Amino acid sequence: MVNGFNPNSLRQALEIRAANDVIPYAGGTDLMIGEQHPGSYLFLHAVPELKRVYLEDGILHLGAGCTFTELLEHPLTPALLKEALSQIAAPAIRNEGTIGGNIGNGSAKADSALIFFVADASLKLESSTGTRILPIRDFYIGRKQLALHPDELITEVLLPLRWLDGYVYQKVAARKALAISRISFVGLLTLDNGVIAHCATAFGAVSDVVIRRPEIDSMLIGKSVEQVKAIRSDYLAAYDKAIVPTRGRVSSEYRKAVCLNLLLDFLNHYEI
Amino acid sequence: MDQGIEFQLNGERVSYTGSATTRLLDVLRDNFALTGVKCGCKEGECGACSVLLDGKLVNSCMVAMGRVAGASIVTIEGYSKTARFAALNAAYAAVSAVQCGFCTPGMILASEAILAKTPHPTEEEIRAGISGNLCRCTGYNAIVTAIQSAAKEGNGLW
Repeated sequence: MVNGFNPNSLRQALEIRAANDVIPYAGGTDLMIGEQHPGSYLFLHAVPELKRVYLEDGILHLGAGCTFTELLEHPLTPALLKEALSQIAAPAIRNEGTIGGNIGNGSAKADSALIFFVADASLKLESSTGTRILPIRDFYIGRKQLALHPDELITEVLLPLRWLDGYVYQKVAARKALAISRISFVGLLTLDNGVIAHCATAFGAVSDVVIRRPEIDSMLIGKSVEQVKAIRSDYLAAYDKAIVPTRGRVSSEYRKAVCLNLLLDFLNHYEI
Repeated sequence: MDQGIEFQLNGERVSYTGSATTRLLDVLRDNFALTGVKCGCKEGECGACSVLLDGKLVNSCMVAMGRVAGASIVTIEGYSKTARFAALNAAYAAVSAVQCGFCTPGMILASEAILAKTPHPTEEEIRAGISGNLCRCTGYNAIVTAIQSAAKEGNGLW
């Protein structure tokens, strides 16, 4: 075909990726916005290896080519990821849009990427010469800047399931459907006999990259709810300093205020 | 490298020899004269260009032709020949769920996608199912009523 490649195996896709200057086309729902890109597309929808979902040692492996609809209907998809995916765009977009494309687009507004950040997920990146596993936090370098080599494809998201059951997820947007996040927040918290066993937060659509600061969240880990109440204001102050919003469609002041309100709601939800 | 992109279009085998990066929407309208597929926004925001791709609702403005190779595409022109369409058509007409009509082809195909998945949907399921299809004149209540009525009157079709 003209200006396109349609591989039907991962090996074939990686060989084409290595030998040609191509733009990976996963679901197309970001790529097709605006003017047509010059050059050729590498269509990935018929690559079966990118559609696999399987559990291995407590890690859920999600094929990068899985569409949002496929994952919403999959029995292994955790509730938190389903909640975030169900609020992406509308059915027609969810039928084509993929998690690999959501990540590969390089935006801090990507609603599935936010969940992968808070879960400290990793990405499997493959080329015809090798495979590497990179934490998602190291994959995003800056706005639209990714640690992806020109011959690589994102093939899997490796999602640890351990701490995903207790969560608060909030997407702030201008409308219910077809909405791009203005601010998105997710907080994970697991209590074990009144002691915080795990706490992780992530803020999307605020800065060039999703904000995930485990060193701040670790202030709360291992402490009882009573102990945490004493350092609550230090925790909030640390995020007040860490959140440096970029100017976008909404002002940075608004973004920052909403982020801190969402963080406060998260603590209140757990009566901390 | 130069062979065309072959696909099923409303049940017929067709071939497209242009660029794989071109939008399905433009090819349907410009090459195949299927002008029931409306162009509202070209960014997946309005649903006017909705078609069925292998039975699933997609925005044809967000689909490049290379994606379509070997697939089956149904537009409102093809769908209008079915008994399911007749049921939806009667239901939309009965409650005046059409005014200017620009959103209607996409809305009908979104209705089909809802009923194919859930033959007797709740109001909430209907509203979620048409959430990517914008209507600027009738409003959504009449459309929701029409889909509920099609599910009832067309019982057994889905």
